[in-house]
Amino acid sequence: MNNDLSEFGLSDEELFSHVDHSELESEKITAPRYSYWQSVFRVFFKKKINIFILVVLAIIIGFAYLYPPLIEYDKFANLLDASAKHLHPLPAMQKMGYNIHWILGAGAAGQSTFDAIWVGSRISISLALICAAINMTVGVIAGALWGFSRKVEIFMMELFNIVYNVPYLLVCAVLVMLFTPSFWVMVFAFTITQWLSIAYFIRTQVIIIRDREYNLASKCLGTSTVKIAIKNILPFMTSVIVTLLATEIPYYISMEVFLSYVGLGLSDMSLGRLIYEAESAMVTPGWGFEFWSPVAVASIIAVVLYVAGQNLGDASDPRTHM
Amino acid sequence: MAKYLFKRILHGLVSIVIVVGIVMIMIYSIMDRNLIFAKDNTYTHQSNNTKIVYKYQKWEDYGYLDYVPYADYLLELVDNGEIDEETRSKAVAIGRTEDQDSEIVQQYVKQFKSYYKSQGYKIKRLDAKMMNPKKVADGGNQQLFAYKDVSLASRLWKYFSNIITIDNINKVEDVEGKRGLTFTLYDPVYGGEKFSPAIIGNGTTHKYLLYFDSKFPYIHQNIVTINLGTSYSVNFGMDVFNTMTRAQGSYVKSTITYPTGLTEESADDLHSATYMRHSLETSRVYEARYTDDYTNVDTVKANKSKIGFSFIIGILATIMAYVLGVPLGIVMARKKDKLVDKIGTFYIVFIMAVPSLAYIFLFKAIGGKLGLPTTFNMESTNKLMYVLPIVSLALPQIGNLMKWLRRYMIDQMNSDYVKFARAGGLTESEIFRKHIFKNAVIPIVQGVPGAVLGAMTGAIITERVYVVPGAGNLLTEAISKYDNGVIVGVTLFYALLTVTSVILGDVLMALVDPRISFSTKDR
Repeated sequence: MNNDLSEFGLSDEELFSHVDHSELESEKITAPRYSYWQSVFRVFFKKKINIFILVVLAIIIGFAYLYPPLIEYDKFANLLDASAKHLHPLPAMQKMGYNIHWILGAGAAGQSTFDAIWVGSRISISLALICAAINMTVGVIAGALWGFSRKVEIFMMELFNIVYNVPYLLVCAVLVMLFTPSFWVMVFAFTITQWLSIAYFIRTQVIIIRDREYNLASKCLGTSTVKIAIKNILPFMTSVIVTLLATEIPYYISMEVFLSYVGLGLSDMSLGRLIYEAESAMVTPGWGFEFWSPVAVASIIAVVLYVAGQNLGDASDPRTHM
Repeated sequence: MAKYLFKRILHGLVSIVIVVGIVMIMIYSIMDRNLIFAKDNTYTHQSNNTKIVYKYQKWEDYGYLDYVPYADYLLELVDNGEIDEETRSKAVAIGRTEDQDSEIVQQYVKQFKSYYKSQGYKIKRLDAKMMNPKKVADGGNQQLFAYKDVSLASRLWKYFSNIITIDNINKVEDVEGKRGLTFTLYDPVYGGEKFSPAIIGNGTTHKYLLYFDSKFPYIHQNIVTINLGTSYSVNFGMDVFNTMTRAQGSYVKSTITYPTGLTEESADDLHSATYMRHSLETSRVYEARYTDDYTNVDTVKANKSKIGFSFIIGILATIMAYVLGVPLGIVMARKKDKLVDKIGTFYIVFIMAVPSLAYIFLFKAIGGKLGLPTTFNMESTNKLMYVLPIVSLALPQIGNLMKWLRRYMIDQMNSDYVKFARAGGLTESEIFRKHIFKNAVIPIVQGVPGAVLGAMTGAIITERVYVVPGAGNLLTEAISKYDNGVIVGVTLFYALLTVTSVILGDVLMALVDPRISFSTKDR
């Protein structure tokens, strides 16, 4: 036996040193260091498609927020020039000069479609982001309360059943007719009832997790409800919330387009209004470009935000971090 | 179960009443009532006092308030026999200003004012607007009327108590002949020779209360009528329910024998005759055809109703969605992370993220390139025109079904019972078919009644883009035309459908899954 150990080249003291029992050491968990958000981004960037999506997103956001202040967009600048209307990119560039403004042709008032799209995108993206922020904040808090308290449950369920049955279109119509359809009125119209459906979704999730064994155990050990909500349940919900956010933002863009289409949209030049105004161009041969360009941009924005959100939602699920 | 369902239905009905109440507050109280004149040419052409009176008349038509002119009040007194015609003609001539009234006018004006004030009305007197001391300005005649805003409670009560009307023999005023019901075995509409039983009423609103004809469901009744509210600007004087369910399109003419014996090629549907007071003597046309005041007839039209079109498109789209969506969702779950799953996910992302307007136009453009008709034409017999609306409606539904079914199946795949089944030696397809699918489909089943009933409400964008004459656009049309009656009626209809479909969905779920029970005892 002794011979066998000698090959390690250690002294007897080193081989058989006495280790005291240490309370502190025994509490230590020997696992690799784990940081939640670091892991989220590690998983997120592991997929190459996400980098591509983020680049596209950056380009879109950049154009939407940095480009309009640089140019002075005037829809009616070429109004009196009859030959400047409904132009394809090539004739438009031949007429107006070879620059970035005319690469998507000209619209019904002789305006640059490219400029109009980015001015509209800025409004539409801002609207979607602000509405999503308000609705998610209110919805998640209300949903958490809803899931936890029985008293709140009775009241909220009634409220939800009633509000759910009031035609949403009518709510928008009343608000639009009551006030002028400005940006903040639209934000109001999108937030006044929509937070309820988010709250309902969150409530269902909270109820599912609330009665799991680990929460019952935590409750038995005397953890307060607020602490259970913040420490035990909220981390579990992060991926759900991010996934929900991913569906919310395209939803508002889509909704805004829809409302514009039925004539209840913004008075500002949003993407929805652009599509609505160019609808007649879609059926006219040769004018299709001015209709399809805003549609394509609206779709790209929505898809990119959706995919980025979905993948971030997947990455924020701790089960994917292994 | 029965008790639980009864409670649910009661609960649903209460929330419907509240919803209708909220909508009524929204459109009658919150919205500016001057908006209805924005597109009214008659209004802009009027001036001075007539303009104000016109406003109140219109508000009464649209259901905002109750408006009684002084002249109508006097007419009512004559009808009741309180005053004679001579007194009325003297009393009606109110002065240009209040102190120019004659004595008799003063007396009746005072009576008018005190009567309506006691009922909570407000009295408005407009003095004549003079162009010069002698001539009254255009539309500047003196006016006197009482008005009262309709309160929410009375509006709700009036609305809900009028929803279902049961016809009876004392329904109409001063009818000729004896009131009563006659039962005949030989319907006079068919010349009185063909065997066809019918019940004919006198004194009822409808002449034919029960009759047979060659159209589905062959036996028809007019005893119970549903009344969701009268339309004003969308379809003048027509009930909302009628607007949605009545046939559209071109007239279908056939040889008709009128009650007088006159035979003619006409589209009139004699079975739909309703009572119109004193109509017979007012028109030669009626006199030649009818023998009583039941002269108001509907016409036979060739095509389906608004709901009919919406429903046929919606239901076919729903069937298509379930037939395609469910198998595709299963395939995606079975081949998770394989090519099929990736293509399916791409499709779902596309449908979820792209604005619905955009992809409907995209499909319209693609369909147009393929040679499919892109607009709907009622008179055409070409069945292909249904294709694009149905496909446009079905594609998002397919995406949605795929998304959820895949999610539910994948969640089930990690369950212990699946591992047990696999350990027990079942084949993969057996596990999927008999175990996973049965569990995953339960939440999907709950949505089936909603999808079927929802088909009736129609789709706003799809119907607009393809010019389908369906029910989907009724609400938007009513909103843009400020037709309050239609808005309320359509809201009630929608709310009724959602409440019913949620309850039916739960019942269906309990039927499919024996573990789900609604009676508290079993829990």
